[in-house]
Amino acid sequence: MPRRKDEPGFTRRSFLKTVGAGGVAAGVLAKTPVKAQGGVNAVGPGAVPILLNVNGQPLRLEVEPRVTLLDALRTRADLTGSKRGCDRGACGACTMIVDGRTVYSCSTLAIEVQGKKIRTVDGLASPNGRLHPVQQAFCDKDALMCGFCTPGFVMASVGLLEEHPNPTPEQIKKGLDGNICRCGTFSRVFEAVSSVKGVRRG
Amino acid sequence: MDKPPFAKATGGEPQAPPQAPPAGQTPPAPQGGGRGGAPQAPPVDPKYNWPSTPRTVVGTRVKRLDGPDKVSGRAKYTFDVKRPGMVYGRAVRSPYPHARVVSIDFSAAERVPGFKTSLVIRDPKDPKTNVVMWQGDEVAAVAADTEEHAIDAARAVKVEYEVLPAVINVDSALAGRAPEGVFPNGNVRVGTAQDAGDLAAGFKAAAHTLEQTYATHVITHVCMESHGSVCEWEGDKLTAWVSTQGVNSARDNFASGLGIPQTNVRVICQYMGGGFGSKLQLGPEGLICARLAKQAGVPVKLMLDRKEEHLVTGNRPSAAAKVKAGVSADGIITAYDADSWGTGGAGGNAGVQLPYIYLIANRHRAHRDVYINTGQQRPMRAPGHPQASFITEIMMDELADLVNMDPVQFRLKNLPPEAPNAMWGSYLREGAAAFGWSKRHPTGDPTPGSVKTGMGVAICTWGGGGRGPSPAHCEIASDGSVTMRLGTQDIGTGQRTLVAIVTADALGLQPSQITPEIGDTQYGASANSGGSTTASSTSPGLRIAALKALEALKEKVAPALGVTADALVATGGRIQVKDTPSKSLSWADACKRIGPQSITAQADWQPGMTSLTTSGVQFAEAKVDIKTGIVKVTRVLAIQDCGLVLNKLTAESQAYGGVVAAINFALFEDRLLDRVTGQMVNPNMEWYLLAGMSDIPQIDVRLKNMPERGVVGIGEPPTVPTAAAIALAVRNAIGVSVRSLPLTPAKILESLQQKA
Repeated sequence: MPRRKDEPGFTRRSFLKTVGAGGVAAGVLAKTPVKAQGGVNAVGPGAVPILLNVNGQPLRLEVEPRVTLLDALRTRADLTGSKRGCDRGACGACTMIVDGRTVYSCSTLAIEVQGKKIRTVDGLASPNGRLHPVQQAFCDKDALMCGFCTPGFVMASVGLLEEHPNPTPEQIKKGLDGNICRCGTFSRVFEAVSSVKGVRRG
Repeated sequence: MDKPPFAKATGGEPQAPPQAPPAGQTPPAPQGGGRGGAPQAPPVDPKYNWPSTPRTVVGTRVKRLDGPDKVSGRAKYTFDVKRPGMVYGRAVRSPYPHARVVSIDFSAAERVPGFKTSLVIRDPKDPKTNVVMWQGDEVAAVAADTEEHAIDAARAVKVEYEVLPAVINVDSALAGRAPEGVFPNGNVRVGTAQDAGDLAAGFKAAAHTLEQTYATHVITHVCMESHGSVCEWEGDKLTAWVSTQGVNSARDNFASGLGIPQTNVRVICQYMGGGFGSKLQLGPEGLICARLAKQAGVPVKLMLDRKEEHLVTGNRPSAAAKVKAGVSADGIITAYDADSWGTGGAGGNAGVQLPYIYLIANRHRAHRDVYINTGQQRPMRAPGHPQASFITEIMMDELADLVNMDPVQFRLKNLPPEAPNAMWGSYLREGAAAFGWSKRHPTGDPTPGSVKTGMGVAICTWGGGGRGPSPAHCEIASDGSVTMRLGTQDIGTGQRTLVAIVTADALGLQPSQITPEIGDTQYGASANSGGSTTASSTSPGLRIAALKALEALKEKVAPALGVTADALVATGGRIQVKDTPSKSLSWADACKRIGPQSITAQADWQPGMTSLTTSGVQFAEAKVDIKTGIVKVTRVLAIQDCGLVLNKLTAESQAYGGVVAAINFALFEDRLLDRVTGQMVNPNMEWYLLAGMSDIPQIDVRLKNMPERGVVGIGEPPTVPTAAAIALAVRNAIGVSVRSLPLTPAKILESLQQKA
């Protein structure tokens, strides 16, 4: 499971501890599985082919098993909307939505989200360029400054509103507590998210 | 890399105390980062100055032009730049705060898949450069085909160190108990003492005296986008995408660091993810990236990780002061004697301005910079001011209690005279009424129960004046398109939008009709975005260039409308005969008369359109649970001026952001060093605490528009007084002064225990 932002979960560290057992990587489109010490199949450390579903499109990549979802999309697919702030699941700049739940993509391995629906900020606006209501609200309320944390806040807000289309102030605060903005836009992010109407339950 | 260990060492000369001028006099030289420089150019021609008539664009709420790019992920930051054939660079850094590099062995690194090239930064054989002075100091660097392989290769570099004694603890250094010989001129640098009036007479006149020590801590910038660059060579010409607060200074740093002509370097920064003062100069990582790219023969990207950010890209120095102050029975501070110190790391200064703002006729002040083996300080959002504010304002409330005076009344008694750049008195009265100050109880909330509530107030000032050169280049083409180019950059303040606002306002257009082109050294010189000076440095040139281009357009249009050019005005998207709207041409039709050669005009900063120094006041309310020590800030009111407001929306955002940054400073962030190893124990974002949405109080911003003053910057002043106001709200709540930051639960509980 990818690491959900609101619960302790799977981390790269625990992956590295368990990768020798091979179970996690069972879904990999492995070239030739390697016999690990325990006699089970393992992959890596070299690059392996994987198939992801990103913003509704199939995406075939070759990545080492240790590569995070964030880095796979940023450096291998040039989907650079999601950002890396802390690389440890603390700042939320990398937030994506995987199977309807917000995740820290810096702390999620690319190979473990095969077969899941991955949504990133790059695919949030309509193909014709029309912004998602959350994106529009961020622009209208000046809920961004340098903008580096903004994609993460936008995705966290979308995740929140798809779960709670009419959130209470407390739900907004809790839903966005996993994201850090160093410019200090929180008041206006709160205002923006509060103003969004009509997001469909995901 | 031949960076000597003390390349950036500067003295710790305490800056002159800021004293606002008497009413009607010239404002003082800007303080802190508000560098102004003596204006050489003649004052602005009145026809170009900011008009006194109400504006349709300037001063309104204009949404950021680049908002859609930022919310959709289309905005390309340096971190996002990808060039053909690009590989990744990574520095090898010292784990020790002080050590000699004995040997560097790249053989294992060279066997890492994808390895490209390596670089020695600390040559073991060169005694001048083989010593590292802080954890994270650069030793070597590598490049490899992927970021993961670059990390592998850097880890595989075998460095042998001779660990040397390190200075870690400020108190030990001050007491002479720290290792000697670490810094060439000792661990402590004594600054020049400053005196005014007659201190002895001042204390003699005092009815009460107070002796206390106040202290602030070291914090780091924590820019969301780390420092770094992408460097690409074509022959001996370098193109660099840099996350920087100054494309032009980065260009000059590349040129001098690499020994190549400035004209061979082009620096680009279209979007950058926060700097707060730490990206004013190109760091060593920029030169490393350029050298790796030269050696590898392909473009190299080198972005620092979060740990490197904490260790080597600057910090806000600590400040502490042992203060003795005297106050007369009627509430005038008669004497101030401060012995201050602080650390800006290895060779960095820790200047702080004491006393802060308040007039004290008789005073003595001594200062010592303490050098310890950590990364050097860099300017951080209002350098010196938040520290000075805390050290001064906590004392103010303690003195007010000694004479049984309300803190607002006590401040009013000790302020400099009111002036356009010294408006604290008015703001204190206005804020007290708006905040409900009359409901404030005396020190110590008498309410039963464990949750106590209190209010505090503090004031601020900042320079924020403009300066040249910052030439703006306006082009109006025959299809009506308008482009404004200049070599400034948008560090998140909204500068790109501001370029469009000033230009559109001058041309009678809307900001969306203007194409701002910034963030590239090809557009010419402009200042660093630091010291809250960008709006004030760029806006005069923008306005004048636009108006000069408009004059040329009017000349072309005048014959068609049967008048002379000076009878025309540009308003509402039309060029019309003054007071005769029926005789007009649309902007598009007017521009058709331009012909194949676009109209171009250029203008620079002019004095008279900007001013120096701002004033602000902030009130804070906090709740403290005396069982847990947890502080919750519930309300902040920020009253702030910045001269002529150019964009109300983004100027307010600067104030919101300043308040949030100071809540972090007051309650959460703290660079923690291991007392034995000197290594930072929280170089991340989970133990280096920062506020989240639930920690944010209700923040009310009252922006004061003072058009007659021209433009003054606002980026820094709103972050100055908040921490002191919060600390005073805590004091008012729990009845005990907490005299150091951050206000952690442990510290609150300890203070309460000492009181009991």
